[in-house]
Amino acid sequence: MAAVTEAPPLAPAPEKKPPRKRGRFTPYWLLLPGILWLLIFFAAPMIYQASTSVQTGSLEEGYKVTWHFATYWDALSSYWPQFLRSVFYAASATVLCLLLGYPLAYLIAFRAGRWRNLIMILVIAPFFTSFLIRTLAWKTILADNGPVVHTLNSLHILSLTDWLGWTAGDRVLATPLAVVCGLTYNFLPFMILPLYTSLERIDGRLHEAAGDLYAKPFTTFRKVTFPLSMPGVVSGTLLTFIPAAGDYVNAELLGSTDTRMVGNVIQAQFLRVLDYPTAAALSFILMAAILLMVTFYIRRSGTEDLV
Amino acid sequence: MTTDNSGDVRLSGISKTYGAFTAVHPLDLTVPQGSFFALLGASGCGKTTTLRMIAGLEEPSSGSVHLGDQEVTHLPPYKRPVNTVFQSYALFPHLDIFENVAFGLRRRGIKSVKKQVEDMLELVQLGEQARKKPHQLSGGQQQRVAVARALINHPKVLLLDEPLGALDLKLRRQMQLELKRIQTEVGITFVHVTHDQEEAMTMADTVAVMNAGRVEQLGAPSDLYENPQTTFVANFLGTSNLIEAEIDTRSGEDIVLKAGGGKLVLPRTRCSAPGTTGGKVLVGVRPEKITLTHADDAGEIAEGRNRITGKIADSSFIGVSTQYVIDSPVCPEFEVYAQNIDRDARLVPGADVVLHWNPAHTFGLDPAQDIDAGVDAGEEAA
Repeated sequence: MAAVTEAPPLAPAPEKKPPRKRGRFTPYWLLLPGILWLLIFFAAPMIYQASTSVQTGSLEEGYKVTWHFATYWDALSSYWPQFLRSVFYAASATVLCLLLGYPLAYLIAFRAGRWRNLIMILVIAPFFTSFLIRTLAWKTILADNGPVVHTLNSLHILSLTDWLGWTAGDRVLATPLAVVCGLTYNFLPFMILPLYTSLERIDGRLHEAAGDLYAKPFTTFRKVTFPLSMPGVVSGTLLTFIPAAGDYVNAELLGSTDTRMVGNVIQAQFLRVLDYPTAAALSFILMAAILLMVTFYIRRSGTEDLV
Repeated sequence: MTTDNSGDVRLSGISKTYGAFTAVHPLDLTVPQGSFFALLGASGCGKTTTLRMIAGLEEPSSGSVHLGDQEVTHLPPYKRPVNTVFQSYALFPHLDIFENVAFGLRRRGIKSVKKQVEDMLELVQLGEQARKKPHQLSGGQQQRVAVARALINHPKVLLLDEPLGALDLKLRRQMQLELKRIQTEVGITFVHVTHDQEEAMTMADTVAVMNAGRVEQLGAPSDLYENPQTTFVANFLGTSNLIEAEIDTRSGEDIVLKAGGGKLVLPRTRCSAPGTTGGKVLVGVRPEKITLTHADDAGEIAEGRNRITGKIADSSFIGVSTQYVIDSPVCPEFEVYAQNIDRDARLVPGADVVLHWNPAHTFGLDPAQDIDAGVDAGEEAA
């Protein structure tokens, strides 16, 4: 303090410069931890995986990079049914999540009143137990002689799903329906939370304004509420679809050999067959496919300026 | 204006209660077709609730709402021939200006909206902005979009809920004139809710002053200002000096009152108190009606004027006028506004003065009321 007051009038100017110089690099220093994290845990494994996918050899003799791109073609030609199945199951689960999650998110955002927090906790509560335990619980729920199967049977719903190929015989367990149910259940909160966030942000007066301008309640929903909730719909479907497409736990625990998804194949190739190049190639194909679909989806939904 | 009464708003005994709280006490009100009607009051006085009951956004706890000859009490908002300009405009953020304005027309199944929307945007001088989104416009422009969006539907009644509240002072004055011009042009009944007394008085033909869920007084702005019937109106609308006085005698058209040592004259027609001889009455006079004369010149004051003596306690010069606070035996803080035409240099704090005014500007109020009702509310709102 004393130095500043005693200094001649021009002196403070050069004194100001050093902090500005330091300031120029401050953002980079602040970014450093994040960048290091990404380099070590994202970029490095990706490069390692990419090199693995173009290696040939065996466990005993070791693997060498031989730029053997044919692995990709081989993997795709042998496992395309699992790819298609993954996309189909994940898409079905996403649609079901949206159908179940939207009304619930709408209810929490606009109608729940003082019950809002309680319902939110109920939505999140399942996360307090392990993913595996929760999925295993569905084995009991869908058990062959359990009440769910019994009820579905007596309502003749199972004969309909049998006809559609979603269930087999009088069973639900070990069928596509069981896997899609498991996926839907496990990823539902990832749909509800972003939907709730974007619905909750909508100004209630917009509903009143729409009503005042001759929109019936359903028209208000179609023309005002739903368009304004699009950011939530887009992020919710992405958060559901992406992990569901790569999931293998549900197919493993609730499905059968006929319901294997690409995640199961990758897991088996890595851990049981020990064919690392094929597993790495499959991972890359899955990633590329999801990236393509997501890009197309975001473009189509036209929400860039809403998000 | 016209013999058509389809734009009349008739409220019969409508009230609104929320649990134990009564927002609006049973209220009867008729707003004639084509008028510019203002509901004026401080926040929480029930004016917005009343407006929302006309719009259908709030269901009355009792009573009925008629538009012209049609009863609309239980109709949902989308079935009422009424449109609202909301307080913060409530423009649809995902639609551009054109689509915002076209919204009501499209909902009613009108296909060719282009011409109408363009004409309406022209009326509010926003033709250039049609393809912009609401957040790209300034507050004043958004306000005009909100008006256009409501007016394009040719409602029987346009409801405005504090439409200028979010604008700065200069823009607000400009929009007041603009809204008044539009109202004259389209001839639709406007019901305007505001807490700004100046806004209500500039724009409306008829003002209803509301307080604690009741209409205190209803009338033309000049009527309300010159002849308030309650202490709330006297204090909320501008400033009033109120003195407690005793009725001395009644002579013809006048009532003679005793206040302090002197006598004041009050025209009988301007007294809303029951007033019997010997009873009390609150006497009021507006600060700008009063002339200040230095005590030395008291002899020059014309006969027949009401007089009060006092001492200047404080004065503040505000350009067009000087505001004095006078300490007098009848009222410790008597306010006087004097135009700065010929300023008397002797009128400084400490000087003895005589306050005098034409008895015709005096009004009398029921003394049973709180003498300070509406004082804080008025300050808060201004």
